[in-house]
Amino acid sequence: LSHREIQQLLGAYALDAVDDDERDAIELHLATCPRCRAEVMEDREVAAFLGHTGGPAPSGLWDRIAASLEEAPPPLALAPVTPMGAARRARWSRWALVATSAAAVVALALGLAVAVSSRSSHRDTLQEQAIEARDRSDARVADLRSAEGRLAAQAVLLPDGRGYLLQTDLPRLDRARTYQLWALVGNEAISAGVLGPDPKVATFTLHVPPSALGFAITDEVAGGVAQPQHKPLVSGRLRST
Amino acid sequence: VETDTLREASDALLVVAIGRWRQDALAEAYRRHAGSVFSLARRLLGDGALAEEVVQEVFLRLWNTPDRFDPDRGSLRSYLLAQAHGRAVDLLRSETSRRLREERQVRETAEGGYDIEREVMDLNVAEHVQEAMAGLPLDERRAITLAYFGGHTYREVATLLDQPEGTVKSRIRTGLRRMRDSLTEAGIGGPWSES
Repeated sequence: LSHREIQQLLGAYALDAVDDDERDAIELHLATCPRCRAEVMEDREVAAFLGHTGGPAPSGLWDRIAASLEEAPPPLALAPVTPMGAARRARWSRWALVATSAAAVVALALGLAVAVSSRSSHRDTLQEQAIEARDRSDARVADLRSAEGRLAAQAVLLPDGRGYLLQTDLPRLDRARTYQLWALVGNEAISAGVLGPDPKVATFTLHVPPSALGFAITDEVAGGVAQPQHKPLVSGRLRST
Repeated sequence: VETDTLREASDALLVVAIGRWRQDALAEAYRRHAGSVFSLARRLLGDGALAEEVVQEVFLRLWNTPDRFDPDRGSLRSYLLAQAHGRAVDLLRSETSRRLREERQVRETAEGGYDIEREVMDLNVAEHVQEAMAGLPLDERRAITLAYFGGHTYREVATLLDQPEGTVKSRIRTGLRRMRDSLTEAGIGGPWSES
């Protein structure tokens, strides 16, 4: 679909009134087009006014919801990790502050080396290892998603600190840029490695695996940075498999 | 965030607290928005029990993946309603509920005008929303109503109204813009963010 065709569909998309294949094409486009994103956001707000018919929620429903929260407590108390947003911008700058002072410690505490393979034979082996790791019962996995919810990569972390990034689906960057992977520990982002401009499969080592709560990927200058300079493009929480 | 200040907390702050597994924050989000979520789902599904399931899903999803809500991308209310709408539409379009859908009188929905439950919503806002809707050309209003409250795709709306798909597509888009402009003019939802 062309940009124009997509634009024509935005209103219908905001009302969930497009076919599945159109929806997929639009969401792909929205990931890279702020103007169309803004239009969808406005349409959704209008729709919310239409849908905002008020009235109380049925009695007893909250109790059922609360009960199901207790039945299946979430595995980790993770501070929200959200790509983009004013609230997050503040957190990133806080991270930056923490990371500056902690940079030396971080470099010692964490394995920053990442093997990113471009050679296909090595990549196949790495891919197999990554899938094997992901299937282990003691592995923790994070689905890294964009703000639109698009799955852009999976991060796998084993109890011994070995980690893999796989199923990476990120647009290729200019050679002056690189993707960088961050482990989220408390409110801090700790570099887990520089991924290069077109990552496919990668492996990394984290020396503090149990405290890692999630992962995020940013777009940084080639060579990588000690602390994130940009908002995360994608992020996700680790969950036990 | 202390429990007693949650009532005054912004929606965005509530979601931060939900991300820290604060059940009281989820309860507050529920208190604020569950009524709207429920009534939208019921309006689409025509079934209270199914609508309750949708409410439950929407709030459990907020609990499990609060990071999917981005305050820069709109209000929590529109996010939750969009989630509920998407889920309700999925149910409507699924094979099992086809019968349910056939029983609904879609044309009546399209032509029955816009009806809002006024007792809870701010009267002033309700009035302006109703006015904005009434101010739309009939064809745009029908297309939006069939798509949003009927849960139809624009192609289906085109068939129902016996109009070209391209026409319906652009009527929905133009109508939504027109709504936005008249709501903004009435001083409602101006910045299109927090309510």
